[in-house]
Amino acid sequence: MALLSIRNVFKSYFLHGKRIDVLRAVSLDINAGELVSMVGASGAGKSTFLHVLGTLDAPAAGEVLFDGRSVFSMNDAEIAEFRNRTIGFVFQSHYLLPEFTALENVAMPALIQRRDRTGAYTYARELLERVGLGSRVDHRPGELSGGEAQRVALARALVLKPAVLLADEPTGNLDPTTGEGIHQLLRDVNRDLGITAVIVTHNETLARSMPRRLRLAGGQVSEA
Amino acid sequence: MHPAERQTDYRWPLLWAGALVALVGAALLGVAISESEAWAEVAGALGLSLVGWGALVQSFDAGALALGPSPAGAIAGPKMLVAGTLVWLAGWAIVASGIRRAPASTEGPSPAAGSTLYPRLARYRDFYWSTLGAYGGGILLAELVMLLLQTVLSSGVPSDLGGAARDAGGGASLPPTIAFAIALVVGAGVAFASGFVGASRAQRLSLPEATIGVFYLGLPVPILLSLMERVPSLQLALGYRLREVSYVAGLLGRPELGYWLVFAALVLALVLGINTGFIAAGSGRVDLRLGFELFVARRHVAVFRPSLLLGALAVLMFGIIPPLIIYFIIRGAEAAVERTRVKSLGLADPLAAASAQHRMKLHEQSPTMMMTALSVGGVGVGVMALIIVLSVMSGFEADLQQKILGTNAHAVVSKYAGELPEYAKVMEQVKRVPGVVGQTPFIINQVMIASEGNVDGVIIKGIDPHSVGSVTDLPQNILPGGDLDHLEHPARILPSRAVEDGEDAPTKKAPEEAEDPIIGKASKPSKPTVLPGIIVGRELAASLRVVVGDRVNVVSPLGTELGPSGPIPKSRAFRVAGVFYSGMYEYDSKFVYILLSEAQDFFALKGATGIELKVADIDDARRISNQVVRVLGGYPYRARDWGEMNKNLFSALRLEKLVMGIILSIIIIVAAGLIVATVIMLVLEKRKEISVLKALGVPDGGIVKIFLAEGLQIGVAGGLLGLFSGLAWCLFIEKVGIKLDPEVYYIPALPVRIEPVQTALSVVIAVLVTYLASIYPALKASSVEPVEGLKAE
Repeated sequence: MALLSIRNVFKSYFLHGKRIDVLRAVSLDINAGELVSMVGASGAGKSTFLHVLGTLDAPAAGEVLFDGRSVFSMNDAEIAEFRNRTIGFVFQSHYLLPEFTALENVAMPALIQRRDRTGAYTYARELLERVGLGSRVDHRPGELSGGEAQRVALARALVLKPAVLLADEPTGNLDPTTGEGIHQLLRDVNRDLGITAVIVTHNETLARSMPRRLRLAGGQVSEA
Repeated sequence: MHPAERQTDYRWPLLWAGALVALVGAALLGVAISESEAWAEVAGALGLSLVGWGALVQSFDAGALALGPSPAGAIAGPKMLVAGTLVWLAGWAIVASGIRRAPASTEGPSPAAGSTLYPRLARYRDFYWSTLGAYGGGILLAELVMLLLQTVLSSGVPSDLGGAARDAGGGASLPPTIAFAIALVVGAGVAFASGFVGASRAQRLSLPEATIGVFYLGLPVPILLSLMERVPSLQLALGYRLREVSYVAGLLGRPELGYWLVFAALVLALVLGINTGFIAAGSGRVDLRLGFELFVARRHVAVFRPSLLLGALAVLMFGIIPPLIIYFIIRGAEAAVERTRVKSLGLADPLAAASAQHRMKLHEQSPTMMMTALSVGGVGVGVMALIIVLSVMSGFEADLQQKILGTNAHAVVSKYAGELPEYAKVMEQVKRVPGVVGQTPFIINQVMIASEGNVDGVIIKGIDPHSVGSVTDLPQNILPGGDLDHLEHPARILPSRAVEDGEDAPTKKAPEEAEDPIIGKASKPSKPTVLPGIIVGRELAASLRVVVGDRVNVVSPLGTELGPSGPIPKSRAFRVAGVFYSGMYEYDSKFVYILLSEAQDFFALKGATGIELKVADIDDARRISNQVVRVLGGYPYRARDWGEMNKNLFSALRLEKLVMGIILSIIIIVAAGLIVATVIMLVLEKRKEISVLKALGVPDGGIVKIFLAEGLQIGVAGGLLGLFSGLAWCLFIEKVGIKLDPEVYYIPALPVRIEPVQTALSVVIAVLVTYLASIYPALKASSVEPVEGLKAE
């Protein structure tokens, strides 16, 4: 059975009073361990798709199933916990919390779960070393470069070893060389940790390098 | 799916039909009451109906009229009454059956799916009977618990007193104020707990249920208590049973005010409970853990920084301008030093200079920081003002109390009528009562006092110099030059100025008396060789223009003697044996003391007017005086404590303090407005962070808790600052002193008394107010949608 399935999902948003239907009866299965890329024009609804997939936004109709369970039938606290445990997010901006150090930012999901603080920090430090930032653990996001911050964000997404990693144009704000480093990290994560990853991108070369490619256009998702 | 997520299903036909049936029932009842001409009797109940208790009281009242022995005899239609009541109740039952939970839908997403906490605030349409029960029942239960505890805890006497002294009712016999404190804490706890349980079960604020619950189940008890103070028949029925309750409420002078204040406190506790329950359980399950939320909140508003706390404290202690000037000087110097350092560093190591410059920029403060400091200061000012003003008022009260109790006894034992000839025997019995530490017999009367210079009406007290010191401060209050013992040994009274001028007092006394211009030759005093002594107050001595050793005449209008031209007032001459100063103008100008035996002789009494008592604990005087009466066997003996004797004065003082406290709390409420603004600013500033936290898996409840904790931090910091600065100011006033104009005030300096309970209460009120103030912005914060802040920039 598929790890993530989307069944007949509808979603629209309003721009300047005009309704834009970004998802029209989208159905899709993603299996465990897959590395999926998604491309599409700006405003086609790639981010919205990812938000629905990551339970950040509820669909107007349809269901999102994780391991066969409908996630939107849970209550608010259960959904939050599901998001915390199962899904790691990386966004176009790093969205690190400015008041906390890199280490604390990485450990944040574990702290939200009220895990033991020292254990969380130990593992977070380990992860930061793996993404090559072992020397910058005590720096605040304001003191990190864009690429460094994005790597911290990736470490944060991985700290609870989620089943799914959702990345929304993770290299959109970075130069090609730095971006390639992030891409390599994503591939390593998928290969070494077996984390299912869905990566939304504008970068056609990156998209082509992924085993499975999706295209979002006209409210429909198609295999590319 | 949680049952609370089911919506309410209104069956409107049933609701309308039920209302119609209830109306018919009410009309039937009305007709029945009209026919039995009982409107006058049920008018009181109708008064209750106006405030919302409805026709239920009416029907009970009518039912009682029908069943009870009615003087009118023929009630036209008991059947109609019964029918009306039944129809009325049935109508309400139909209405109730028209409101029920919608059945749980088996498929599809639940209505609450994906819905955030905030919209659930606005779910007014739903109505849960269980929530109504929890809220209304909770506040009613809290009221009843308070009444019960107050009665049980403060009535009765300790059982170590045998025989007649034992109270049949038992009870813990705590002082009433302590019993009230316990009752209030327990009652507020019950109200809080029921609000918490109700809101956490329903997962909504349930304002309709709360309103109806408070109106229909919470209001009747205070209304009943207030009516009890006004309506004689209710007083007759309930007054004795609720005597402890009305006594405590009566300490304020107006018992109704006490009832309604306590009711307001209980409603506040219920509201706090409802809010806390909603926040703790609103997102699906009760979660009271705070570690993570505090961790985040502390970073958002770093209130507990030494610089901020010290700065705010300095502003509270020394005003705004001086600390601000010092702050700018320090900051200017600091910045200058830093700039020179960076400049010299820049020559040697440009990279290190750059990072130092960067750190300097980070050091600059955001407007939110400024707002936070302002809110902390605002709460601090409120708490400080509250503490200082209440402590000074307590100081005045304590000063007054000390002066009153220094001159008056804590309690007085007397008979309802006539004097107390058997006072020696009574004193023997009273001595056995635990808690009585001193007693002295006394005679009190009103007389005229005349010196050569002036005449005045005064209260004369016959005292026993040996035992009076065990009850009042009179021996200590005698000014140098006089002596209490000289009452018994008038021969030792020092000669006065007149004597110093060359006159011999004993020999000149008789002619002087005969020539007295006021009393004249008509007076027929028994002429001892040595005149008895009298002690007068300082102000009286000044207005009579007498000093120790001078002669005064005391004239009693009551005991008349028969003279040649008919009855004339009894008069007697005394010599001033001492002057006392109690510090209370009224006493120093109105009281004179003579020997008990002289007073007996003068007023032709055999015993005493009564016995003055001193008790170990003045707050316990009421209970001890009750015990004394029991030991003496009740009527015709009576005992009154100082609180009862000076009731008007002290209840006026307490009321004044209460009103002052409420007015000053307005400062805190203004500061709470600042907190609302600050937290809203924080929420706007942190929208992106809120979205990120939600994406990382913080539930709505967690977001609410984070921002509540931020508001509470401000409140706690401000409260603590206010506490420290308030106490510091109080200590300053106490140690250094602020002089008062002696022309106006009868005390030299502003008195201060720090009462721990009221001081702690000021801080607690501030924290509660800030908690309530941050609820709205915190809920607002939780309404930020995760995707809203995550839009690509």
